[in-house]
Amino acid sequence: MKRKMWIWIAAGFGGLLLLVFIALSVLAGSPKDAYGMVRYALPHMHRGNLRVGDEAPDARVLALDGTQRFHIRERLNQRPLVLVFGSFT
Amino acid sequence: MYVREAHPTDEWQMKSNVKDDVCYAQPKNLEQRVAIANDFVKRFQFPLPFGIDDMNNRANDAYAAWPERLYIVDERGRVVYRGGMGPFNYHPAEVREWLAAKFGAVERPKEPGATPSSTTPDGETKKPAV
Repeated sequence: MKRKMWIWIAAGFGGLLLLVFIALSVLAGSPKDAYGMVRYALPHMHRGNLRVGDEAPDARVLALDGTQRFHIRERLNQRPLVLVFGSFT
Repeated sequence: MYVREAHPTDEWQMKSNVKDDVCYAQPKNLEQRVAIANDFVKRFQFPLPFGIDDMNNRANDAYAAWPERLYIVDERGRVVYRGGMGPFNYHPAEVREWLAAKFGAVERPKEPGATPSSTTPDGETKKPAV
């Protein structure tokens, strides 16, 4: 009796996982994309704690020439600064 | 601000990357990041100042930037606009609206490399800092 119950629980859990994977595949576009999202995207996606009104954090970044560095906040120059974060791909 | 690649060939590559011929592996060092950033600027004739995050991803971590996100920092160094996480909540129009409220309606440049100009409600012409 107990064994039967565990089989049902395992089957239910497996079915739930399958449903989640199917839903992710639909959301992402394909099973390969669902895997990519879970394996590569989710670990790097963070909401962060920064809020409107907070002091903007600073970071030292590299210029396009690959040699000079500057602090993000150096670019304020008493004007609002728009920061556009992204990559090529 | 260039941060780690979102869809490199050795991770989660998208079909659209192949179609658009944007195929790069995830950079393993800063030189590779610089090379990709320069390819981007060259290809799109990107006219704005450019920064590249270091391999410790300090800027990315500070701003929860990956894969793409927009911010506006005011003159006093305070965050006045924080965009949502891209690509689904990445809305440049919201930034444009903020800039329009501050500097007047922004006229979008017709040619790549041209600097947008704007006219404030009182008729004064200004160029926003980006």
